[in-house]
Amino acid sequence: MSDTKTAAYICKGCGLGERLDTAQLANLAESEGKCAITRQHDFLCNQDGVGTIRNDIDNEGVTHVVIAACSRRAKTEAFNFDDVALTRANLREGVVWVRPDSEEARETTQEMADDYVRMACAEIQYMHQPAGNQEAGSNKRILVVGGGVSGMTAALESSKAGYEVLVVEKTAELGGWAAKLHRRVPTREPFADPQDAGVVELIKAINDDQNVQVFLNSTIVRTSGAPGRFSVDIGTESGTTTTENVGAIIQASGFRNYDASQLPELGFGQSPDVVDQAGLEELAKQANGKPIQRPSDGKEVNSVVFIQCAGQRSNAEGHLPYCSGHCCNTSIKQAMYFKDANPGVDTVVMFDDLRTPGNGEDFYRSAQRKGVIFTKGKPQGVNKNNGQLEVKFHDMILDEDAIAKADLVVLATGQVPNSGADIEQLAAASDSEDTQNENAELTVPVDSILNLNYRQGPDLPHLRHGFSDSHFICFPYETRRSGIYTCGPVRRPMDIAQAAVDATGAALKAIQAVENASVGRAAHPRSGDLSFPSFRKEGCTQCKRCTVECPFGAIDEDEERYPVFNESRCRRCGTCMGACPVRVISFENYSVDTVGQQVKAVDMPDEFDEKPRILLLACENDAYPALDMAAQQGLVYSPFVRILPVRCLGSVNAIWISDALNSGYDGIMLMGCKKGDDYQCHFVKGSEMAYDRMGKIDDTLQQLQLETERVVTHEVEITDIHRVPQLINEYAAKIDEIGMNPFKGF
Amino acid sequence: MTNTVATNETILVVGAGISGLTAALESAECGKNVVLIEKNPSVGGRVSQLYKYFPKLCRPSCGLEINLRRLKANPRIKLLTMAEVTGIEGEPGDYRVAVQLQPRYVNENCTACGACAEAVTAEIDDPYNYQLKQIKAAYLPHNMAYPQRYVIDPSILGTEDAEKAKAACRYGAIDLDMQPQSIEIQAGAIIWATGWKPYDAAKIQPYGYDRFANVITSVEFERMMDPFGPTGGKLLRPSDGREAKNVAFIQCAGSRDRNHLTHCSRICCMASLKQATYIGEQYGDDSDARASIYYIDIRVIDRFEDFYEQVRADERVHFIKSKVANITEDRANGDVILHGVDTEGYHRYDNPHELCVLAIGMEPSVDASQINGGVASDASGFIAAGESTGAIFGAGCATNALDVNRAVQSATAASLRAIQVVNQVARAEA
Amino acid sequence: MNTLNTAMVEKYRNDFLKEVEENVEEGHWVKMCMQCGVCSGSCPFGPDWEHPPQEIFMMIRAGKRDEVLATESMWMCTSCYNCIVRCPRELPITHIMHGLANYAHRLGLAPKMNPTRRFAKIFWNNIAKTGRVNEMALSLKLYFMDGFASGVKKSLAMAGVGLGMLKTKRLNPFTLFRHKGVEKPKQLQAMLKKAKEIEDRRKGLAS
Repeated sequence: MSDTKTAAYICKGCGLGERLDTAQLANLAESEGKCAITRQHDFLCNQDGVGTIRNDIDNEGVTHVVIAACSRRAKTEAFNFDDVALTRANLREGVVWVRPDSEEARETTQEMADDYVRMACAEIQYMHQPAGNQEAGSNKRILVVGGGVSGMTAALESSKAGYEVLVVEKTAELGGWAAKLHRRVPTREPFADPQDAGVVELIKAINDDQNVQVFLNSTIVRTSGAPGRFSVDIGTESGTTTTENVGAIIQASGFRNYDASQLPELGFGQSPDVVDQAGLEELAKQANGKPIQRPSDGKEVNSVVFIQCAGQRSNAEGHLPYCSGHCCNTSIKQAMYFKDANPGVDTVVMFDDLRTPGNGEDFYRSAQRKGVIFTKGKPQGVNKNNGQLEVKFHDMILDEDAIAKADLVVLATGQVPNSGADIEQLAAASDSEDTQNENAELTVPVDSILNLNYRQGPDLPHLRHGFSDSHFICFPYETRRSGIYTCGPVRRPMDIAQAAVDATGAALKAIQAVENASVGRAAHPRSGDLSFPSFRKEGCTQCKRCTVECPFGAIDEDEERYPVFNESRCRRCGTCMGACPVRVISFENYSVDTVGQQVKAVDMPDEFDEKPRILLLACENDAYPALDMAAQQGLVYSPFVRILPVRCLGSVNAIWISDALNSGYDGIMLMGCKKGDDYQCHFVKGSEMAYDRMGKIDDTLQQLQLETERVVTHEVEITDIHRVPQLINEYAAKIDEIGMNPFKGF
Repeated sequence: MTNTVATNETILVVGAGISGLTAALESAECGKNVVLIEKNPSVGGRVSQLYKYFPKLCRPSCGLEINLRRLKANPRIKLLTMAEVTGIEGEPGDYRVAVQLQPRYVNENCTACGACAEAVTAEIDDPYNYQLKQIKAAYLPHNMAYPQRYVIDPSILGTEDAEKAKAACRYGAIDLDMQPQSIEIQAGAIIWATGWKPYDAAKIQPYGYDRFANVITSVEFERMMDPFGPTGGKLLRPSDGREAKNVAFIQCAGSRDRNHLTHCSRICCMASLKQATYIGEQYGDDSDARASIYYIDIRVIDRFEDFYEQVRADERVHFIKSKVANITEDRANGDVILHGVDTEGYHRYDNPHELCVLAIGMEPSVDASQINGGVASDASGFIAAGESTGAIFGAGCATNALDVNRAVQSATAASLRAIQVVNQVARAEA
Repeated sequence: MNTLNTAMVEKYRNDFLKEVEENVEEGHWVKMCMQCGVCSGSCPFGPDWEHPPQEIFMMIRAGKRDEVLATESMWMCTSCYNCIVRCPRELPITHIMHGLANYAHRLGLAPKMNPTRRFAKIFWNNIAKTGRVNEMALSLKLYFMDGFASGVKKSLAMAGVGLGMLKTKRLNPFTLFRHKGVEKPKQLQAMLKKAKEIEDRRKGLAS
């Protein structure tokens, strides 16, 4: 550390010079902050100001920089020095913009600024410029699990970008469900007729591609490692196993058809002439353009009824609650099989809502032109009467019960994802095993797809209804296992066209993962972050909290139950750091100390000053920007608050809270993102974890005979621009009401 | 003035809405150099004008913040705002793109301190709020605007106001002599992500968007909910500023209609379901408040169905299966009266509502047939899938009516296609 | 029963949609309806229709032949074209309504006393005779179509209007006796006859 040199730069622009005693700030940085260089500048973000800093770095050996000016979110292009450790004291959005420009406010405003300079100087002393993970894996091969359209597309697109690909397919041939189709829904104008599924061409392209290696009749027996250095055991049907090293994984394990035998009321299993959509594809393939024959007696089908939403969009026992999305277009396509072979065939599509978004509308019109009848009706049952099927239904438009006679009935059933084991269920099962031994025989109903040797379980977490989708609207590929991306119907019900786009996107993310891993960079949302968690083994008590609570399954355990960090799996949220009761986990640029020392650096007035101090730990993703924007709007809040941005509330270590209370803070606020089912926390569980932990702090507070209101947690959205100052002010009033922290001054 | 600012291993991304931002960031995070150009003064596009996203009802600016942080942190992306493509020449691996830069009259010295806006008195219609609000002619486009830099509206050039703005700036950031600039950008591949625009509601004559104050579009409704929007976050109807508690939503306003847009715009059903929840949010359990959704088919595929079910369970939301025939106005109180037939049983209605929201359809903001370089256009002006011959790849709503999630998927896929081309260039050059 | 009707029932059995498609003016458009209801809501006479246009389309699809052909609904159409203008599928609804009415009439299933049907018939006979409408004759025929007493009543009610028109020379009572038609009405009638033959042949209605 001998070559560390810290410099502080205090900006006087944007009113800071008029409103604050910047000379005093400079003095503080020098005396308390131990800065070797302190400079004030009238306009720090201009060419001259930036040049001054640059010059000090280049010629004065400055390695650590404190910029006391505007928010860390502002002027980032100017204050862009990636070769030094850097922190920003927020004097503009954090102080002068949220305080009235009045004589009475002057003293408390200056105190705020003083403290923010102290905090920045305290933080920088414990910050290091991260060097990146030296043990990063540099394998750039991509493993694709599943050889359907999604998998093949992902493989080919990755290969086209110059990456080697392995495809593992559990059946004897490539093609997946699409290979079983007679035709597919059209993908280009005029969107009028079914088109060739194109699977033969895809398979040929895969076979011709030198970059793509295919393993048929194979499954993944075991996956270990991390992005850039996954080790995968591929097992074949014959029992042999090969181990391959890959850099990233694309899971394109697709879907299986809903088991239509659960729909006896719609005649499935009661008559061979009731089939599902997959069954109809088989019949159409056999007919190959000639009239389709019904299974029971081979008679040419003259009338067919398609029942949409069969066993889906329903909360009935055993039904699928969601809409599989493709089935309206699929039934339209299948009705065309009949109409194209013989326009005289009666084809009725019985629907509730006809869902043909985008250009599906053209396909719908084309079907109508071909004479396919669309009836908005609720099916009530399918029966056989005198050798003919009868679909009883309620006609929703004519508002009457009716019967449609048909030679064949097709049930448009849904897609069920092949997303492997439900790890939450597994965890719950193993928990109950621990407590009740009689449950020991509990079996896992579904085979794992990836067989990850991760502590958190063998597969990706499921989102809703068993799909392994990302939870985020703007970040659709963010799974909770770094370097493993899903695509196609395993992620969300979808058709071939969407699956192809999805697979291409997943291939990009896999490529990005291997590129990032090879230089030790973090993936989303802290993409580019070169820091990674390190831990001091001597202090570790093997409590397992870090391994259990990591939202990304980045931490394994060794034989002695010590945590094993897989840096490339880590998203740098710091949840492990927040979890650790003995504080042995830290990042180079974000640690128990970088925050803890800031907490302690604040000057604590004694209890007779009537100047309470409130610590606000604000999530940098949503709460902190909201505070900045409140400042931009000129909203005013209490000068007694000291705001400290954190990567995620999940990274908040209880020690910061107890230290703060011990050092005399009168209240502590935590502001994080929304938790629960519709969580907005970018690190999945960070916010929830913080709530959980703070719940436990309540007990501690009561033991110390402190009011539980001394620590409060709020869910804050980035748009809560009016609400955040209000929360602060209300809390300041509350502290006023309950009085000062009795520990002050001890 | 002409200068070249990139090489043919560069990816040019046109449009910095959610799709363009995504394409640029994903490419740059794979180690590629990117030039990202945007017509408006700030990035974020149309989603930055949304109040909430469906189905999570979360805030679009939350994701924007993450993307902005990625953008600020990534030295591989060069961002040009107020920039538009005027011509494309060349071929895959070697494009020369002419770009016109409009003057912002504010340079990078701007600290966003706001002194210029305080000095200026002239006001303009706020484009961010769909012209529903007046703002100063020196303005920051919105709270999250990036670049965080003010804009001087050209309308005040040569007036005293412009001089006042210039005088108020202590940082020499205002340059009233800025001129439009033409530059050429070299690129190996181009990602076209110019997004969508709402269909012109006035063309749907029977709905009287241009005649009745209380007929508005879904994008305008979205702005009304924003506390910084034209009504300060209150559902105040335009005619008299009264609270609107009885709100109608008309689906397929311009979509699925051979008189307007033939395609289904995909997002509008979910958008209206989402907006129906705004009524509940605004008025709580007030039993007077209600939303009525007039629809043909409710098209909410995959797990959006959960959201539909959730909204359907709310007894304040009514569903009427009917394409509204026409709207008239009750001159006495400004209410709009929707006329039509509920097709489930053919019940005729003449329903008065305090406000009517048209779930307006999506059309591409740039007609794909106007883009050079081998781009194929479909009948609606979207970039046709899989038919283009060059290395210009459509992303997001430039290719189809897509929701945010699908637009981002599309942009991520486009990013890979562009990378395939520039990797090929790189291999050839190596 | 009308023999044509019997033949059609025999020919199409349960497939009324196909029957409409092949025999009704613009009937092939019926299948294109997307069930939005805008036609029904747009019709200015909508409240008076027994079955609005979309319902008629749905009834056709559901095979409700007797109900559709016997209804007065499509006779209500005044050709305002609101429905055509607004239909998102550009169905020529007005023409389909007239086509259906005409078809019902030919099959002998149209409601006998429907005033529109009677007016249409009177108008047609009037104009087909000379090639020009004889307004006096048409008015009188219409007034008196329900009998002498009602005719006198209607005539008296309209007397004021009639006198006004006389004064402004908008009405010439002598045309009742000396109506100037086209030059060669016989040829016109031959043309109309031929046209009907062609149309019937096209629709397969050779009866």
